[in-house]
Amino acid sequence: MLKSSFHNARSALPFILPALLLIVLFVFLPILFNLYYSMFRWSAFERNGVFVGLDYYVKLFQDPIFYTALKNNSLYAVISLLFQVGGGLVIAAILEEKVIRRWQPLFRTVFFLPAVISISVVGLMWQLLYNPEIGLINGALKAIGQTQWMHSWLGDSKTAIYAVVAVSQWQYTGYMTMLFLIAMHKIPGELYEAAMIDGANRLRTFFHITIPQLREMILVGSMITVIGAFKVFDEVYVMTFGGPGRSTEVLGTMLYRAAFRNDEMGYASTIGTAIFVITLGLSLLQMRLAKTGQEV
Amino acid sequence: MFALTRKMVVLGALVLSLVASGCSSSPSSGNGQSASEPSADGKVELKFLHKWPQPEYAPYFEEVIKEFESQNPTIKVKVEAVADEPMKDKLRVIMGGGSVPDIMFSWSGEFARKFVRSGAAMDLTEALNADPEWKNGFIPASLQPFVSNDKNYGVPLRFNGKFFVYNKEIFDKYQLQKPKTWDEFLQLLDKLKRAGETPIILGNASPWAAIHYLTGLNQKLVPADVRMKDYNPESGEFTDPGYIRALQYLKELKDKGYFNDNINSSSHDMATQMFFAGKGAMMYLELEEFQQVQKSMQAAFDFFPLPAIAEGKGNQNFITGAPDGFIVSSKTQHPKEAIAFLKFLTSKQNAEKLVKQIGWPSPIVGATNTDTALKQVAEAVDMMKSAEGMAEWLDTDVHAKIADSYLSNIQLLLDGTKSPEDIMKEVQGVAQEVKQEVKQ
Repeated sequence: MLKSSFHNARSALPFILPALLLIVLFVFLPILFNLYYSMFRWSAFERNGVFVGLDYYVKLFQDPIFYTALKNNSLYAVISLLFQVGGGLVIAAILEEKVIRRWQPLFRTVFFLPAVISISVVGLMWQLLYNPEIGLINGALKAIGQTQWMHSWLGDSKTAIYAVVAVSQWQYTGYMTMLFLIAMHKIPGELYEAAMIDGANRLRTFFHITIPQLREMILVGSMITVIGAFKVFDEVYVMTFGGPGRSTEVLGTMLYRAAFRNDEMGYASTIGTAIFVITLGLSLLQMRLAKTGQEV
Repeated sequence: MFALTRKMVVLGALVLSLVASGCSSSPSSGNGQSASEPSADGKVELKFLHKWPQPEYAPYFEEVIKEFESQNPTIKVKVEAVADEPMKDKLRVIMGGGSVPDIMFSWSGEFARKFVRSGAAMDLTEALNADPEWKNGFIPASLQPFVSNDKNYGVPLRFNGKFFVYNKEIFDKYQLQKPKTWDEFLQLLDKLKRAGETPIILGNASPWAAIHYLTGLNQKLVPADVRMKDYNPESGEFTDPGYIRALQYLKELKDKGYFNDNINSSSHDMATQMFFAGKGAMMYLELEEFQQVQKSMQAAFDFFPLPAIAEGKGNQNFITGAPDGFIVSSKTQHPKEAIAFLKFLTSKQNAEKLVKQIGWPSPIVGATNTDTALKQVAEAVDMMKSAEGMAEWLDTDVHAKIADSYLSNIQLLLDGTKSPEDIMKEVQGVAQEVKQEVKQ
């Protein structure tokens, strides 16, 4: 086995090499460069930077905005896990129910649709929906008489981050649902039949058959969601750009602000390294937990 | 180990050349003053970057360029336009990369000085002095903000000021007069408020809108020499009590309910639409927006500048505003052509066309008059000419990091989560940091 695969590797090398070269040049080298650049103070205007060593790393850990961003990213991760993975799983299970299965294609399309809309469009659309004067959300609350719930959703530094996170749930829960549906179709029907004969109800089959059978998919989905939550940028950029104040700042917008607003390219590189370390850590955790990374 | 096939060598070379060409995009021209070299077809190509891609403005530039090209058949102007907010990012990105346009948009003040400090902007002093007719064509106050160390680094295209525009219908209804002092202003706001009107409309989702209030308030409340020292990144301290007072003045307007609700979640565009629809008595607007007001608002309008503040230690006869215009890249291969184009762009004829066609006030002497412009625009330009100075936009007049601190904190001031004292403490901290960095 080992021998033959070694032989294969030899003959495969010419085919892999171009891709390998590209990955090294465009992924691994930039990561190293980024580490190097994070030790200099330099701006886009002046190429020759001042060597500052690890100053920026010290600064990063003293920067209160870094902790705001970490908190917001974590919030993103937790809420996304709950809604996208948890909610997606429940929705998928409901769609698999016999009564609804006939309508499944319709619901699948409806739920999946938000995932294919461009994020700028989604951002602008939700900005309108959230608008306190003319937006649909406050309008709906008013229509049902719940005026005490009306709110300046994106304009209040205490609630803005939740408003932004909610949009991601709206957009990607359907995507997760699709992934779970596909995985569910692979579960042998006999398992359910046997359980039914033994007198198990729907809830029991969900917990004792569906979830264990989907274990792999749930792990993968969770990791995609969590890593995605730490890389999030565009939703926040389009809807609030980290504001009001710095209340919705995430690592991505923090990096962007440092680089392209404040001309602190070195600091931006440092933030980039932090994002890299966090996502790498999460990826390693995923491989560890899933063990069978091959199937993905 | 393994045989390299011919195809692989080719592929490898291709990849490497791709990468190499990406890396070598850093400026290859040695000095900016080199003689222009026409390209293969004998034409010189000028790259021109401006910030008005909107359909109401872009055609003006297209027409002017077409005219210029027909008069100078050896020059071809390649235009690129990005909008206001993205321009701040775009300029930083292109400066980092290689392909810097020959002529690019810039705000005046610190925003332009940053390019001067890094050697990216060409010195235009000689060109201006060589052609007195051109130089004297500009209103001096519009050329001055582009000066750094007694050298001209930019040429203004338009002259912009900030004024309270009011809905005459509402003012007439309650028999209100233009206020001259801050106290009169507050009384007026109070009357409007009590009558059930929204006195001022403000959309601060992009926080520059509120920063423009602070631009004028800082200028009026802080002594000029102190302010200029603080706005200079090398000596900024921001310890004058006037800065805190300025924030308190703004906060007072908010706390007394003189603004509309939901300031931080309305965009400036949405707010202007509300104002046009008559849902508020006044709005703090730029001169360049006057034409839009005329077109879109049913009621007649008039304007007044930020009122004088009795206790203020700054000069009360300043107007908030600044010119914006163009700088020439120090790396340009075609300095002569670039200057020729700028001269054409700022000729009196084109300036008049600019005023007439898009309603912007021009920095060219005599171009903005009652024949070419709206009555109010001409009046405002006269006011700006007779003012003793201009308070340039705070967010482009201080170092980018200080501006960023101000910009993000002003939203927190207006939603009540941060006090003026805390904000200034933070600004002072950033100013110290900036001072250290600039000195090194």
